[in-house]
Amino acid sequence: MVEFSQPVIDVIISASALLGAGFAMIAGIGPGIGQGYAAGKAVESVARQPEARGNIITTMLLGQAVAESTGIYSLVIAIVLIFTFA
Amino acid sequence: MNPGPQVVTHLFGKEFLPVTDTLIVSWVVVVLIAIAAKIIGSNLDLVPGKVQNATELFLTSIEDQIEPMLPGEGRRFLPFIGTIFIFVGVSNLSGVLPGVPNPTADINTTLGLALLVFILMHVEGMRENGIWGYIKGFAEPVFILLPLNIVSELAKPISHSFRLFGNIVGGGIIITLIYQAAPWLIPIPLQAWFDIFIGIIQALIFGMVAIAYIAVSKEG
Repeated sequence: MVEFSQPVIDVIISASALLGAGFAMIAGIGPGIGQGYAAGKAVESVARQPEARGNIITTMLLGQAVAESTGIYSLVIAIVLIFTFA
Repeated sequence: MNPGPQVVTHLFGKEFLPVTDTLIVSWVVVVLIAIAAKIIGSNLDLVPGKVQNATELFLTSIEDQIEPMLPGEGRRFLPFIGTIFIFVGVSNLSGVLPGVPNPTADINTTLGLALLVFILMHVEGMRENGIWGYIKGFAEPVFILLPLNIVSELAKPISHSFRLFGNIVGGGIIITLIYQAAPWLIPIPLQAWFDIFIGIIQALIFGMVAIAYIAVSKEG
């Protein structure tokens, strides 16, 4: 059993928190794909039906905002890890 | 760098009554909106002038967003949704002024607004379906799903508030980092993007998600 002194433990905690923040932001991939997919579909629909542009854009923004939530959760987790543990 | 609300002073010098910068800026925002509303509302005319015309267009466009989701009740929900939209919008835009923090970059503000929406949607659901009918709606389609439905209901204000909070705080952190790396010219388009575009879009989203929650809750 290895005993660590307090400064070493603090360094390990900050290092793990920063590493964890980086890992948490991997979740940013998901919203990127999801929002891009929504925007692509919206472009297709506007091209097919240009008169429904306003409705399509509103629906797209609402869907993208909901798709964004998971990414925002990971961002909040990363912010908490960086600013309270590191 | 320390994001989040900073305690500026203490009310009456009491230790348990801290006054944060969020509180000050949001009160300034509230007072500014109230003054603007008073000025615009005080001299209404049958033939609208420029300012009245713009205000009417703005309010009508909010009502047009509510109407498709809550048919026939756009006028009833306009004050609530409009107030939330204007308050969140002005709060998001306040970050454009240097040194002024965003009140919405504080989880207390956004969670407070989300809890207001949370209470309103349940009250509306109970008014529409009756108290017992509304509570019974949680145990559908199968009774086993009751805890799952309750958890998903509790997740609504959390996701609603964290979405706005995360967007504004994330933008603020990126702008702070850019200001430290390149303080000249480069931050301007970024600030226009994060504070103005994202701010207005997020205010719109916050209001529209509130409408959607109320509409879902009314369906039972």
